[in-house]
Amino acid sequence: MTDLTEKSPALQDVAAKLFRARSHSIEVEARPRTEVLEKPLTFNPPAPKRYYFYLMAPAIAVLAFISLYPFFWLIFLSLQDVDIGGGEWVGFDNYIRLFSDSRFINGWTLLLKYSVICLTLQLSIGVLLAVVVNNSRYERFLVTALLMPMMMAPAVAGLLWLFLYNGTFGWYHWLMQSVGILDSASILARADTALLAVIIVDVWQWTPLITLIALAGLKRVPRDQLEANMVDGASPMRNFFSITLPNLYPVLLIAVLLRFMDNFRFIDSLLVLTGGGPGSATKILPVYLFEVAFKFFKLGRGAAIALTLLLVTIILGKILVRVFENPKAGRS
Amino acid sequence: MFHKPKNALYKTVSRRRFLELGGYGAAALGVGSLAVGMNSTIMATRVQAASSEDAKWKQFAGSKLTFLSENTPPSFAIRDNIKAFYDLTGIEVEVLTDDLPVVQQKVGIDVRAGKADYVLNYVQDKPIGSPFADFYADMTPMFGDETLPQDPEGYGDGSWVENFLNACGRFYSAEKVIALPYDAAIPVTFYRQDLFEKHTKEFEAEYGRRLEFTPDTTWKHVLEIATFFKKLKEGGADVPYGYAQHQGSFAWTTQLDIQRLMFSHGRWTDFNVDDKLGSKTPGKTNWGDEQSIFMLEQFKALADVSHPDNLANGTLELNTVYQSGNIAMQVQYHEFAASVEDEKTSRAAGGKTAYAYCPKGEASWIKNGGEAVNGTNCGIGGIGINKNASEQLQRAAYLFAIWSTSKQLQFDVLKGLGGTPTRKSVLEMPEVVEAKKRPSKMPNALTFDVAYGIGIQDPNFVLGPKIPEANEYHSLVASETQRMLTGEMSPAETAESLKSQIDELNGA
Repeated sequence: MTDLTEKSPALQDVAAKLFRARSHSIEVEARPRTEVLEKPLTFNPPAPKRYYFYLMAPAIAVLAFISLYPFFWLIFLSLQDVDIGGGEWVGFDNYIRLFSDSRFINGWTLLLKYSVICLTLQLSIGVLLAVVVNNSRYERFLVTALLMPMMMAPAVAGLLWLFLYNGTFGWYHWLMQSVGILDSASILARADTALLAVIIVDVWQWTPLITLIALAGLKRVPRDQLEANMVDGASPMRNFFSITLPNLYPVLLIAVLLRFMDNFRFIDSLLVLTGGGPGSATKILPVYLFEVAFKFFKLGRGAAIALTLLLVTIILGKILVRVFENPKAGRS
Repeated sequence: MFHKPKNALYKTVSRRRFLELGGYGAAALGVGSLAVGMNSTIMATRVQAASSEDAKWKQFAGSKLTFLSENTPPSFAIRDNIKAFYDLTGIEVEVLTDDLPVVQQKVGIDVRAGKADYVLNYVQDKPIGSPFADFYADMTPMFGDETLPQDPEGYGDGSWVENFLNACGRFYSAEKVIALPYDAAIPVTFYRQDLFEKHTKEFEAEYGRRLEFTPDTTWKHVLEIATFFKKLKEGGADVPYGYAQHQGSFAWTTQLDIQRLMFSHGRWTDFNVDDKLGSKTPGKTNWGDEQSIFMLEQFKALADVSHPDNLANGTLELNTVYQSGNIAMQVQYHEFAASVEDEKTSRAAGGKTAYAYCPKGEASWIKNGGEAVNGTNCGIGGIGINKNASEQLQRAAYLFAIWSTSKQLQFDVLKGLGGTPTRKSVLEMPEVVEAKKRPSKMPNALTFDVAYGIGIQDPNFVLGPKIPEANEYHSLVASETQRMLTGEMSPAETAESLKSQIDELNGA
């Protein structure tokens, strides 16, 4: 292709005006060009890697002191029989004994049962509430109202429900008795209902968290997808399961992760409500751990229980995170 | 240094001289302060302290102590009146109170860590005394120390209600006393006299004797009374349940409930050791023997006809059930009389409640050949001194210990908040003797004759087990018997399970 400007000076002039911004005058072009150095000059020569280590060292030291040191100390403790008046090295005895400790096994069974029921109820009710509240006329008010149980300290929530469940003056007890759900024994006095009573308190207090997280997720569900589905004749239910729920999936996994870890260290309101009884009906593992370590002062055995709890929490947490990182795998 | 008029008559002071004078002054002040300090604070020598009674009380002025106690009337009253102790000694005492399980944990962590954040502790006999006895200072050397003030009544067994010093002061050794009796909880039978009188004819028709409670009323009678009231209630009569127990969240009270029943029958105890001193190596337990299985069967039978909330009730909750008129009888700690007699909050007040000894053993229920007694246990809270504290602080704490258990203070607490005296002499004071009869200005005194009468005395008194593993022992007994009461295990299985777990616990 021929460049016309080469032949016509007039055209050259027009072109120069048109592309003024891009071209430079001859004078400018004639100036000596600045050489770009391969390595830029600087007042601060690059620091050796050790320098960065020194900068981070205080933070690492603090972290090690508050986190790693107790962790290794816990491991050390779990290999000793630490009782009133001193410790004695016992190797893996504390761990071996756990396998024949019926209260430890019962604690795990109850903890898993408690966690699964709580998570299922909280997820279903939480998402349902979020859908109801989302874009409703009273959304702000409802969200504020829902937050209230969550604001309460768990021990206070335990005390509140202890009074509500009380067989002598408890309002909920009276209500449940009036509608024939309960007989004269209070819900906390029976081994078959005590765990349910504790689950109700947990669901009451922490479902709002799931609702809040789900509500935030609902705001991000693409409206165009929902509308397109509706145009195709999908029912609201179909819309929810095909569009809304898959979009909520990542946020719900965060909620599950949070609640699952909370449940594994749950103790406050349960101690207030039942103390683990009647019998061992509500003695989930964290309560048993608390008893062993701080009531019986068997710190070695307590450390061994704590480490098994930590280990299982880490493994389950990892599984959940993997599902979270690969949602498709989780959905399939 | 300063301007000096030429015609001045006074002498000038050079800079050097001025500094020298200043130095002498400072030194004189320092020596003076030291002298005053040595005379007034914990630097006082024992010779100086012994110079007068006032000096003995004041020798630790300026010290600061912390007393961790359970939420009990004496602690509240002492906290309100702590200025009196400060005025007497110049020692500042902070009284912290909490629920017993919390106190137990805090004390445990403090003493085990070798600390003395709480120089003075509430040594509740088994939950705190049994596991931590070795961490408390032996008070016996201080009892005879002339450089310390002494209570005119002394501290021997004769000064206290029978068995109280053994309960909270002596653990594993008769030679040492680690705590002085500070308050007491003795179980007695609270029953609704009005209801008993009202239904006596129906009861008599069925059981052939009056519906009443006497020192010879046995546990079998209690079972019959509970059965009678339950039957009436289920028949539609407007009556409460007959009986209730505390098998709620606090393991120790559950264990105490069972222990009374067991001991009443042949003086059965958990271990074959000295019940009052206890043992660090108790050996094999008696759980699993014929007597224990039979008594668990009776315990279950009694629970089956009692108020259905037994398994949710701790001490306080059980008393609420009684106060609200939902049971006709309870074996409860005598400190609760004040609340039961409060007409504003109790339906059992106004002379409706009578107090009796704990039920007696039923001869036909005894399988081990022992005697039938009115099995009575207790919760005696002592005041002890943390051994981790310095010697001087221990001596300062001793002053508080003897002051807080003195006759006059115990009387004041009883009059003010409804305390539970531990010194015998308080019970003999004319005002207290008068208060044992209705109308009483000190409702707790209504229980004194039965609480401090035969129950707490031998052979009815049972204390143990004082073993280092007492808390785990209580927890095991409570959870296994609760499982039995819910129908999860039979009495025989429960006794067997207890035997194997307790023997493993004690390495027997």
